[in-house]
Amino acid sequence: MSYNGGGVVAMKGKECVAIASDLRFGIQLQTIGLDFDKIFQAGPKLYVGFPGLATDTQTVHQRLKFRTNLYELRENRKVSPKVYASMVGNLLYEHRFGPYFVEPVVAGLDANNQPYICAFDLIGCANAPDDFVVAGTCEEQMYGMCESLWKPDLGPEELFEVISQALVNACDRDAISGWGARVYVIEKDKVTVRNVRTRMD
Amino acid sequence: MARRYDSRTTIFSPEGRLYQVEYAMEAIAHAGTCLGILAKDGIILAAEKKNTNVLLDDENFFSDKIYKLYDDMVCSVAGITSDANVLTNELRLIAQRYFLQYGEPMPCEQLVSWLCNIKQAYTQYGGKRPFGVSILYAGWDKHYGFQLYQSDPSGNYGGWKATCIGNYSNAAISLLKQDYKEEISLQEAKALVVKILSKTLDTTKLSPEKLEIASLYREKNNTKMSILKHEEVKRLIEDQERVEKEEEAQKKREAEARPST
Repeated sequence: MSYNGGGVVAMKGKECVAIASDLRFGIQLQTIGLDFDKIFQAGPKLYVGFPGLATDTQTVHQRLKFRTNLYELRENRKVSPKVYASMVGNLLYEHRFGPYFVEPVVAGLDANNQPYICAFDLIGCANAPDDFVVAGTCEEQMYGMCESLWKPDLGPEELFEVISQALVNACDRDAISGWGARVYVIEKDKVTVRNVRTRMD
Repeated sequence: MARRYDSRTTIFSPEGRLYQVEYAMEAIAHAGTCLGILAKDGIILAAEKKNTNVLLDDENFFSDKIYKLYDDMVCSVAGITSDANVLTNELRLIAQRYFLQYGEPMPCEQLVSWLCNIKQAYTQYGGKRPFGVSILYAGWDKHYGFQLYQSDPSGNYGGWKATCIGNYSNAAISLLKQDYKEEISLQEAKALVVKILSKTLDTTKLSPEKLEIASLYREKNNTKMSILKHEEVKRLIEDQERVEKEEEAQKKREAEARPST
């Protein structure tokens, strides 16, 4: 799990959610790319991040896209965050004894624009709390930052500041995370994507 | 004499025919009509809805004739609906598996060809009956642009500029031969579809409830499919009726102008 490095964090706010990831792509201690966003869009107001082994980041995303495409064709509607989270957990547990080395983070707004966040371990155990979720090599640092900075009912602008500070400072204390960051703030009528300047080391 | 050779699909008759396949095509000849027209900027698929019973709960389902297969392709079916459901499900899976493996959308002809290979297997191995469905595929890919294909229970398929399957398809095809022009636009194709269906369908008057028209087009590098709304279908039908009335009036005037012998 620490072969490529990286971290993803998601937080709930007042009628909004934010999810952020660092942009480093490295192989052990060598940094190769600065544009490796681990977050993908799964629906108009649903985003998912896959920190961990980079090849599994790509493969799990592609396999989930396969399943959600078929879901949307058969059910004639977009997949909701809870259902998407179930699909993630299900896919991971299918490989219980030869797992994908990713720890996914799901963030989105459901049909009533209520915030939803969820994180998984590599074999599909879901955790959907009311405040924030973290995953990656700088997990422990992110826990510390989030615990101190997060408050309930933050508006979209404040949530952006809080999640950016949490991610950037946690990544600064981890050698293999960082090298740029991207933050998605999902509100009921729009999604704002911002690149955050970080220490490039 | 022929009856001895009917019971198994995988057997030729003495005249070299596959009876089960032909009987399957008979089933389709009685099913609701589907018409497809290739325009230069898109494709129109029109389907005659046979289940117009008022008791049917039709609020929550998309369509019983037109199916989306994946982002760049839709299809319309004629024949046994349950067989059609199985085939469209399989088509969707095939397209997704291709996308998972190659990372780009499946080209239209390959999808048609893959399914037709499956359909052909049911005419040669296994002792199972063929699928009683003909399918019209409308799709776009980056290699050949807009394409219209037709497949039948035997597993044969062909690419068409305009074609029709189901009830009254022969009448529709002969009309298409006269009226189809090469560089037709999407809007003209919509009008042509209504014209042909109003002349070939058995009903005295076309109505939006009986007709489902879908159009496939490209917008900003994305393929979009939209089912025409009630009002637009109504307007197309009314335009067609107006054109027909004018033609009738024109014929009458010509007949009166001619001196009677």
